[in-house]
Amino acid sequence: MRETPNFAGWSVTVLHREDSNTERLLRQLRLLGLKATMQWKPITTSHLPDMVIVDADQGFDDLLPWGGDLPTIPVAALLGSEAPGRIAWALKQGASAIIAKPVAASAVYPALVMALSIHEERKAAAAHAVHLEERLRLRPIVHAAVRKIAERHQVDDDRAYGILRRSAMSRRMPMEQLAASILGGVEPLPEAS
Amino acid sequence: MGFFIFGVPVRNAVKIGILYSTTGPYAAMGRDARDGAQLAIEELGAAGMAVEPVFVDPHADLGAYLDGARHILRDAGCRHIVGTITSAARKEVIPLVEKYDGLLWYMCPYEGFEANENVVYIGGCPNQHLLPLFDYLIPRFGSRPYLVGANYVWGWEMNRLARELITNAGGTVLGERYLPLEETAVERILSDIEQRRPSFVLNNLIGPSSYAFLEGMRRLAERDPAFLPENCPVVSCDLMECELEDIKPGAALGQLCAASYFDSVETPENSEFKSRVAARFGAGRRVSSIFASAYSAVKLCAEAVLAAGSDDPEAVRRELYGASWPSLLGPLSIDAETNHAALPFHLGQINTENGFDVIASRPALAADPYLTGKRSAPSPKLRVVS
Repeated sequence: MRETPNFAGWSVTVLHREDSNTERLLRQLRLLGLKATMQWKPITTSHLPDMVIVDADQGFDDLLPWGGDLPTIPVAALLGSEAPGRIAWALKQGASAIIAKPVAASAVYPALVMALSIHEERKAAAAHAVHLEERLRLRPIVHAAVRKIAERHQVDDDRAYGILRRSAMSRRMPMEQLAASILGGVEPLPEAS
Repeated sequence: MGFFIFGVPVRNAVKIGILYSTTGPYAAMGRDARDGAQLAIEELGAAGMAVEPVFVDPHADLGAYLDGARHILRDAGCRHIVGTITSAARKEVIPLVEKYDGLLWYMCPYEGFEANENVVYIGGCPNQHLLPLFDYLIPRFGSRPYLVGANYVWGWEMNRLARELITNAGGTVLGERYLPLEETAVERILSDIEQRRPSFVLNNLIGPSSYAFLEGMRRLAERDPAFLPENCPVVSCDLMECELEDIKPGAALGQLCAASYFDSVETPENSEFKSRVAARFGAGRRVSSIFASAYSAVKLCAEAVLAAGSDDPEAVRRELYGASWPSLLGPLSIDAETNHAALPFHLGQINTENGFDVIASRPALAADPYLTGKRSAPSPKLRVVS
């Protein structure tokens, strides 16, 4: 079960000019326990809050410091317009939730929960992709180690792969690392079992 | 149209829409709430504070709540509505109240996670009922409850929170079951409970489902004393005096309920209030928490409008926040950020006279609708009064 999301003590920067929308938004953020500040100038990576809410109607590219890359903190966008260009801008900033203007009090908490949850999912997916890419990059090394084991033990590649895998598991190390160690002569060839 | 409308025109009176269903699955509550509102209007009138009520009865039909609220706000020109009982109805009406910039005075216990500028909440959210209830139950009965609920947002959210509280306490939820609003076939749930043997049962059913469930638990206890209320109580946050008449005599005896008011609460204000209720509605009439909170809501609304000199919601809110309002529930203060009232906690045990004996109480707790923890005052130990 997911725990009830709680934002008490979080810092949030609202990038918006002051108006009646921000008044209602800030009130709701305060009662959700967040420490909210509002500004209409770019945020810098040295002073990042825990979360950012940005005006996608008026927003310009330098407001947020990640220039189209995956944001390092959750982003929600305030949006009154339906203009496709503004929606695209919000997406480009990495916004993972929208709070429609005029701001309804009941829209704020759901947007924070969505923004956070999707941000976490994206982070996890990106980390997973990096991990998979690394493994893919090391495939030739694994393949070379499998060939070496197959030749030594006179078995086919599938058996050899099984030997390498079991051996890596019993040493509690990634197969790629064991393969590199075998090829580098650091580890002896695993025994067939 | 699915509702009846009748207004009482009074010159320069405070106009308040009263929106309750007096038929349908929670009719007993709706009738009591309406009577509570009526009594407040009569007393205010006698004291020279005229209220012009616009009564609307949506007969428990969600669509009719919307039509009714629109009639009150647009056609009758009220800025204030006291009413709605279920969270489904409240959530249905809120967008209209926002559109016409009115104030909804919601006076029932609810599941929290809401704090709308256009709503004044005086019925209590989970840190005012469910959390202190579990503080009482877990050390005494254990942390392996069974959860039952009505199949809509109240049941779902209350049970979700209960599960979280139990998990944090290192316990286990032994089962979780839902029934549609008017469903009374409880046998499958009962046999599951009999098999799993929980430490207590959290009952978030409402109306006839709840009554059938309580009667079923009594039959179970007659077969197996492990399910007597002293061993495995059925506890709720929404059972009221006005409903106990509808439950088979003795069936709910000994079960527990949390509320911010019981008929039996011993304060001078309450005994005076009860004698006024007896004079108006007859000596046998028990005051339920919903009667008391509807009464309190209408009084608070009218007094705040008169103090503000206008029924403009912003002026009324400003007036509300600044003061502590004497009420039947004790001095009421409304938090300016959450629009929620601080409320006392009472734990009632159903007695042989279809009433509740108050067995534990806490002084007024500030509401923390989003459970951020920052508003929950350092929790005073529960004062056990008997």
